[in-house]
Amino acid sequence: MSFWDRFVEWATTAETWTAPGDGLLALLAEHLRLAGVALLLSALIALPPAVWLAHRRRGRVVATVVANAGRAIPSLGILVLVAVLAIEQGFSTRFWPLIVALVVLGVPPIFTNAYTAITAVDPMVLEAARAQGRTERQVLREVELPLGLPLLIDGLRLAAVQIVATTALGAVVGPTGGLGRPIVRGFASLRGGGDVELVGASILVALLSLLVDRGTTLLTRVVVPPGVRRLQAG
Amino acid sequence: MRFRITALVGVLALALAACSGADDTEATATIDGPTITVASFNFAESTILAEMYAQALEDAGYPVERQLDLGSREVIFPELTSGDLDLLPEYVGSALSVGFGGAPTSDLDTSLADLRAAFEAEGVQVLEPAPGEDKNVYVVTGEFAETTGVTSISDLADAGDVTLAGAPECEARETCYAGMVGEPYNLTNLAFEGIAEGAVRISALENGEVEVAALFSTQPVITEKGFVALDDDQGIVPVENIVPVVSDEIVDAYGEDLVALLNEVTALVTTEALLDLNGRVELNAEDPADVAGDFLAENGITG
Repeated sequence: MSFWDRFVEWATTAETWTAPGDGLLALLAEHLRLAGVALLLSALIALPPAVWLAHRRRGRVVATVVANAGRAIPSLGILVLVAVLAIEQGFSTRFWPLIVALVVLGVPPIFTNAYTAITAVDPMVLEAARAQGRTERQVLREVELPLGLPLLIDGLRLAAVQIVATTALGAVVGPTGGLGRPIVRGFASLRGGGDVELVGASILVALLSLLVDRGTTLLTRVVVPPGVRRLQAG
Repeated sequence: MRFRITALVGVLALALAACSGADDTEATATIDGPTITVASFNFAESTILAEMYAQALEDAGYPVERQLDLGSREVIFPELTSGDLDLLPEYVGSALSVGFGGAPTSDLDTSLADLRAAFEAEGVQVLEPAPGEDKNVYVVTGEFAETTGVTSISDLADAGDVTLAGAPECEARETCYAGMVGEPYNLTNLAFEGIAEGAVRISALENGEVEVAALFSTQPVITEKGFVALDDDQGIVPVENIVPVVSDEIVDAYGEDLVALLNEVTALVTTEALLDLNGRVELNAEDPADVAGDFLAENGITG
């Protein structure tokens, strides 16, 4: 049988998708759960300090360092490092090492974009807002955040795409990693017909990344106020 | 600027000369003939074994060259059959299945005969196998073995719900998980978890997340942590005795003396000896060449 014949047979077998535990649907759910938890934690960690520092127009150095660090961190390297630390400390390698690694990768783009988003707001606009008697809290909530929202969400989009893609690497190290598991397993048994599930799962991860990318773009349309959108478009 | 570059090249050349000089000191061949190129795979045990053969040959006066840490069989086999490499420490089962697509069993004699036939067609001879093997073993913690009384894979049937951690490809293999939940073991209480990295499997075993882990029989961590390797009483795991393979060219050139010397070294290689030697390299970070040299001297092959 040619590769495509085997691939079609594999992809059209119900078991491939619905097997409990390691069917593609179960793995997809695991993938989304891991990536979702990591993205949420990254946002919780990155957004408050970024927004506060940016509002006070402080910490430019911190923001630069975080941005550069974010670009320099190798995903597999941080994953292996965290896993090794977990093993040395006798912790479980099941869930948290991967989450910690993903959060380390997710924080820099969210932090940097949120910081830039708010510091980029026109100082004249801020001056006008303060002149109208708005408190600092109101300036942040009613002026800086809405105006910075498109760029801030862009940071979330960058982080989400990277986290979704990197979640698969979890399977290289430990007993987790969602759709990465059939990729690693397929690679280890290439001659035994593993090529089919390797290619199939890789396509799914790629599609998932694209979907997340499109999804966050749509989110921008929903949450960014129409006025700000017109400003950007104009 | 030109001067600096010249100086830099000079320094590099000196450094290279110094590196290669260290290797030359031990090799003064007294026997005339073709140089024996000794190869190894890219893991510590293979390097130690290759060093053993290389040093034993050098000590006896054969001209030897080393090409160690070469990579996997896909890389090494073509060079071996083409005659670029002459001697390689192999493993009976893996050489047969990975190298030639054969089907090794838990029976050494038939698997070895199959391997000899396969290599013979390529102009390579398979010498005598060692008593030691580096094969898949399924281990439990000492504590688990004590409380449940499990000593073999069959015994797992009475151990309640247990989980085996193995490399992801283990799940579908008859020599691994598939042979345990299906014929011949038929363990209905055994679940599987795919973990690619050996170190992570060990940590899962120690943390009690799984009860059984797939390791290799010569991994020093087994003795270090007091794990118990389960007896494969139904024989699903293929034999993996260490066996040197040598090109026809070298055997023809040097004859019986060379074969006898290599067999003498091979006979010393037991699983226990490998556990100890691997431990010195992997746990104590000693140099594989030194470890191999000590082993040969202790056993009266050299010095």
